[in-house]
Amino acid sequence: MDSSTTRRHWLQQFGMGLGGIAASQLLQRDVAAAAPAVSPTAGIPSGGVVNPTHHAPKAKRVIYLFQAGGPSQLETWDYKPLLNEKQGEPLPDSVRQGQRLTGMSGNQAVLPLAGSMYKFNRHGENGTWVSELMPHMAKQVDQIAVVKSMYTEAINHDPAITFLQTGNQLSGRPSIGSWLHYGLGSENDNLPTFVVLVTKGKGGQPLYSRLWGSGFLPARYQGVQFRSGKEPVLYLSNPAGISAGSRRNMLDRLNDLHQLEQDRLGDPALATRIEQYEMAYRMQSSVPDVANLAEEPQSVKDLYGPDVSKPGSFAANCLLARRLAERGVRFIQLYHQGWDHHGNIPGGMKTQCRDTDQPSAALLQDLQQRGLLDDTLVIWGGEFGRTNYSQGTLTATNYGRDHHPRCFSMWMAGGGVKAGVNHGETCPFGYNVVSDGVHVRDFHATLLHLMGIDHHRLSVKFQGLDARLTGVEPARVVNEILA
Amino acid sequence: MAALKNLTIAACLALVLGVGPAAWCQTPISFNSQIRPILSEYCFACHGPDEETRAADLRLDQREPALDYGAIVEGEPDESLLIERIVSEDPDMLMPPPETGKTLTAAQKELLAEWIRQGGEYQKHWSFEPLPESIAIPESVDDWPRTSVDPFVAQKHREKGFQPNQEADKATWLRRVTFDLTGLPPTLSQLDAFLADSSDDAYDNVVERLLASPAYGERMAVMWLDVARYADTFGYQNDIPMEVWPWRQWVIEAFNSNMPYDQFITEQIAGDLIPNATVSQRLATTFNRLHRQTNEGGSVAEEFRLTGITDRTTTAGTAFLGLTMECCRCHDHKFDPIKQKEFYQLSAYFSDIDEFGLYSHFTFSAPTPAMLLYEGDQQQNHEAAKQAIAEAEASLEAAIRTARVEWQSRQDDWIETLPDPRGPVFALPLEGTVDGIVGKATVCNGDDAIECKDAPLFGRTSEFSYSLWVRPESQGPRMMVLHQSRAAEDAAFRGLELTLDEGHPQFSMIHFWPGNAMRVRSLEQIPNGRWTHLAVTHDGSGRADGVRIFINGKPVEVDVIRDQLTRDVRQRTEWGDLDVDRVSLTLGARFRDLGFRGGRVDDLKVFDVELSTAEVLSIFAAVQPENAPPVVDAEIALQHQWLTADETVAQARRRLAKAREIENEIVTGVREIMTMRHYEDAPPTHVLGRGEYTNKTEQVSPGTPELAGGLPEAGDDRLSLAKWMTDPQNPLTSRVIANRMWHLFFGRGIVVTLEDFGSQGTPPTHPELLDHLARSLMDNGWDLHWLCREIVLSSTYRQSSKVGDPQLYQRDRDNTWLTRGPKHRLSAEQLRDTVLAASGLLVKKIGGPSVMPYQPAGLWRESGTGKSYNQSTGDGLYRRSLYTFWKRTAPPPTMLTLDATSRESCTPRRELTTTPLQALVFLNDPQYVEASRVLAESLVQTHGDDHDARWNELFRKVLSRPPNDGEREVINQLYHEQQTYFSKNPPFADEFLNVGAQPLQDAAERTDVAATTIVVQALFAYDESIMLR
Repeated sequence: MDSSTTRRHWLQQFGMGLGGIAASQLLQRDVAAAAPAVSPTAGIPSGGVVNPTHHAPKAKRVIYLFQAGGPSQLETWDYKPLLNEKQGEPLPDSVRQGQRLTGMSGNQAVLPLAGSMYKFNRHGENGTWVSELMPHMAKQVDQIAVVKSMYTEAINHDPAITFLQTGNQLSGRPSIGSWLHYGLGSENDNLPTFVVLVTKGKGGQPLYSRLWGSGFLPARYQGVQFRSGKEPVLYLSNPAGISAGSRRNMLDRLNDLHQLEQDRLGDPALATRIEQYEMAYRMQSSVPDVANLAEEPQSVKDLYGPDVSKPGSFAANCLLARRLAERGVRFIQLYHQGWDHHGNIPGGMKTQCRDTDQPSAALLQDLQQRGLLDDTLVIWGGEFGRTNYSQGTLTATNYGRDHHPRCFSMWMAGGGVKAGVNHGETCPFGYNVVSDGVHVRDFHATLLHLMGIDHHRLSVKFQGLDARLTGVEPARVVNEILA
Repeated sequence: MAALKNLTIAACLALVLGVGPAAWCQTPISFNSQIRPILSEYCFACHGPDEETRAADLRLDQREPALDYGAIVEGEPDESLLIERIVSEDPDMLMPPPETGKTLTAAQKELLAEWIRQGGEYQKHWSFEPLPESIAIPESVDDWPRTSVDPFVAQKHREKGFQPNQEADKATWLRRVTFDLTGLPPTLSQLDAFLADSSDDAYDNVVERLLASPAYGERMAVMWLDVARYADTFGYQNDIPMEVWPWRQWVIEAFNSNMPYDQFITEQIAGDLIPNATVSQRLATTFNRLHRQTNEGGSVAEEFRLTGITDRTTTAGTAFLGLTMECCRCHDHKFDPIKQKEFYQLSAYFSDIDEFGLYSHFTFSAPTPAMLLYEGDQQQNHEAAKQAIAEAEASLEAAIRTARVEWQSRQDDWIETLPDPRGPVFALPLEGTVDGIVGKATVCNGDDAIECKDAPLFGRTSEFSYSLWVRPESQGPRMMVLHQSRAAEDAAFRGLELTLDEGHPQFSMIHFWPGNAMRVRSLEQIPNGRWTHLAVTHDGSGRADGVRIFINGKPVEVDVIRDQLTRDVRQRTEWGDLDVDRVSLTLGARFRDLGFRGGRVDDLKVFDVELSTAEVLSIFAAVQPENAPPVVDAEIALQHQWLTADETVAQARRRLAKAREIENEIVTGVREIMTMRHYEDAPPTHVLGRGEYTNKTEQVSPGTPELAGGLPEAGDDRLSLAKWMTDPQNPLTSRVIANRMWHLFFGRGIVVTLEDFGSQGTPPTHPELLDHLARSLMDNGWDLHWLCREIVLSSTYRQSSKVGDPQLYQRDRDNTWLTRGPKHRLSAEQLRDTVLAASGLLVKKIGGPSVMPYQPAGLWRESGTGKSYNQSTGDGLYRRSLYTFWKRTAPPPTMLTLDATSRESCTPRRELTTTPLQALVFLNDPQYVEASRVLAESLVQTHGDDHDARWNELFRKVLSRPPNDGEREVINQLYHEQQTYFSKNPPFADEFLNVGAQPLQDAAERTDVAATTIVVQALFAYDESIMLR
């Protein structure tokens, strides 16, 4: 007898079927399933496809302060005095363990260890180590959860940022903001649900519109970039000479035409188009309104620092992010470029931290003062870390660091995240994660969880698969940093 | 026990499903349209074609194994394990397992049960069944059908109890077909002519006119450019311009000449392999080179070479076969019978070119293989120059022959001992810190380069020689000894380089590695820890046979690694190369390259002549006289004479050098474009474990997927792949294109998933119609015009799209059953082209380089690319939208807003959305505003005070009909309200009318024009203008 017959025989004999289960029990089960769940962790209604949410959300909105280029963890959050002790010594193979290098430092004759030129001190109730480059954030450590054990596989910018933003190194997938819009809908009828703010005038690694694109989700879920300057959204302003009144008049007549068309053709889809014109009209006032930072009190502006009055600066964008959050924008994505310090770490990091330290801290305080921090998830981080060895010549006053995927640091605050904790550790060489590693996928799972979504259950049919932000490989919610 | 169990199953079925089996057993179940989608969606991921992830050894994608297993028992659902599991209430037994999140509905469970009751028959997946030789056209019961499309549609109507909709009026049909075939609205004269034409041929004549219009090719090209992922930049990080617009022109011309579709495929896949391939046929193959490429520093060439090959494979798979090959890059397909190995076998066809995998940062060339694209008299001049070289070479050979004969008889004049070599133009003693072979020497650390800024720079046609002493410490790949270049990968190795490759001296002259380069590698190695004299001489030809490598004074035998250098090796400003002034002769290290670590160098000498063997030997012997030969060999002496002491030969050499320079300068000015060119020694293809480039497993040769069997055999080159694709036995190709064309006209394919004809795609709504169209297309020589006519002249297409009966609408919301005419939004290109056409601004020039119409300032800069958008002036603002410069990482924003894609990869199908950002485009984009203004000016000028006439023309231009009374009232009201507004604020009118580059004509009265512009704007933003109904 061949195995398949045996198996079938075995299965039938041993009653893999329903056996003696009574029909009545089945009926009862079906009836029970119909009763609504009553539980304190039950989900709440939403305007998206996840309705109700899978469980009670802690966060209603996200502000993601993306630091593009790969900020050095060794000059910010990950204190590694051993590197200073071993300054100039070659990176031991026992530490490197075959990690691939980029072609930029991979051909170097020597990989000399480089300690940070900047000092670290302990701060807050937990004695969190923070670099001297971030005095403002140092005072906020009790509000945030610092994760030092982030890791990724991507070693170059495009795949690495794409990974953080869309859940896959290969492009073409929806970004986090698009998933959230799709899953949870919008809380504001007058503003886009997903707004992107890029610091003006920064170079370094370029950004691409697909990073806030909707991938294979319908295009209406893509992020809308607000630019600094007089026209925050492309084509927002009426042409010269056209007042709001004139525009309103034209839209009213257009509406009349559409009503006539509706009567004639009876097309149900027409209502959607009419609504879009109305929303565009509303955006023409709501967007300039929200972007008008001048109306903020001086005390608030002082909190964010002097850059806040420079349109398009990181500080201005942080303040704008708070205003957007207040108005119910679901996902606010900031990008601050310029962290890609292959050379000149000392000078480069100083500038970058000066630009971002105070505004980030200000944002946290500002949100908290308005009672928004509890349900706003704030995230700070880049796409990978940097090497503990110097790329290029190591001198007493200068060094560079190449890309490093095996460990990097991020912090999260608000929206259900535990305050004042550190999660995860790296080895004394600052090269490998030694405990509580958090993969990019885990970060995504956690983010969705805080927003009330079970990452397994938010999916869309694409190329025959149920595509998800977290993909097909395992991902875990980092419960340890949940409040 | 068993009987009780069966009874219980049946009872459970009944209870759970709430409906008795009787309801279903009247209609025979279609496996492919009803059962396969359920099995595929809910079962195949674990019980499908992928062996590796198959659970419990059960496969349900084939009948025999399923029967064998007992999953299906023919006719007995109650005994079938499949049914048992899907109705189980034990979560550990329930299939699909609850943790997958997939749940079968009651109806689905009943369907599966009924299917088994009816015998549990399988069908081969519909799209893998070969097309029947002929498809019976259903009987017509009335005179509704016009073309062969209609009887199929009518039959489905009858089956489902539908009636076709009334016909659209003539104007509606004309507008529809004109947009569908040319992407533009009908002109007033075209509209009037058709309305007046009551002949029987009226409709046919329109279609012929449209098919013959050059605008047809442009419209079809838009569809194909999406599929072919055409863009004007490379993509990825740097995203610099990629010059491939000549290929776009090829596409337009292919459609305009109605190239048969099989030829269209063949030329793009394998145009270079067609015997006596023309430039046009080779240009077609650029299709395969349009994928993204990167030049980002640190990128691994092999990784990107393989990614590019993958993209070629998946794009061809989607474009021509409707298969989701991307799934098999990492594992066997979960739903379709395609193995991962077959993916790589298919990819092997596309890997047969001599490419690097990256493009360059510091130098600008079309990544090889590239083809010259002559313009004007360039070809003529180039041929003449090459001819001049051939003649000069012949003269030189003759002179040398003569000289040898002459010198043979003058042996007394020969050198007896080694001569003093001619003087170097540059020398560097390299007196460093370590012991050398001539005094002290310099040791290289591998990272620090020794620049010789005063040394001359040599080009492809330069005579030169290098001489130096080296003492390597270790061996390694491509250790850099001496070079004249800016960088390695980052410059595609442009320049000259002398390296030690595992101890073998290797000399290269490179324009773009590897496809436009010369490299020779000494068979002999040199030892570590000892001094060796190395020399290289070059005769100015740029060919392998013109280069000699000398080890310790003796010329060595070499392996010719590449010998196809046809362009200059220097960086040149006219090409846009960067850092042209930073290139110098350098020793010991190169930017991000493997340096001569631990190696010592001494006594560098650079010559601007080709040294004779005797001279090289002399240089060597000057330092190690003990190794010099006592007497100069006769052949060496002879060579020295005619090379250095013969005026006739010298003259012939000068003439040849001049001819070479001339040719080099000519070819420098000729554009190149990436194409496919078969390379016999391309690296073999391997299956990549999990798709990772570092995990090469089994080696494979080119081959096509078996699918469900019965396909023709394919050979192992791209031409045979093309033959396989276009073979009448191939079940996919003809169906895919027929379906794509159907989608063009109806906004929805017979198979909705144009890009997926596999298990997870949607099955065809009208399978016989699709087969008929596919078969007839082939029978008609793959004539796309035939297909167009059959569709647009059909009654199905001619239906009105109006929703008359709301109940009917409920029964056929998506127009799946074609109960009304097509209705969908115009595409991004069609919307912009319409306002340009209606206003008269449209510049109808066909083809040529891409242009840069209006775009808000600073967008490119803001994304950090460091590039500027150089907005066009004049005509460049008003070309058809398919010529808009497409930057992959920052595509034209209005196009994106209107659902165009970035073209970073194959876009088989765009969706059509409605968003407020689109409203903003129609209302505020200067392109739309300017077009409104220009059209308003024309209306005012043409019709003066006759407002009715103005609105008539406006509506007819945009909607192909005059306004009805209600509309006229609204428009007039709008006009007067706006006129009042502008009259109160005359400066506003001036400001408003000042939009765009087109100057305002003086004549008309400003408030009138302004108010009219608003009316035009309103009409451009009007739903009926945006929609194609």
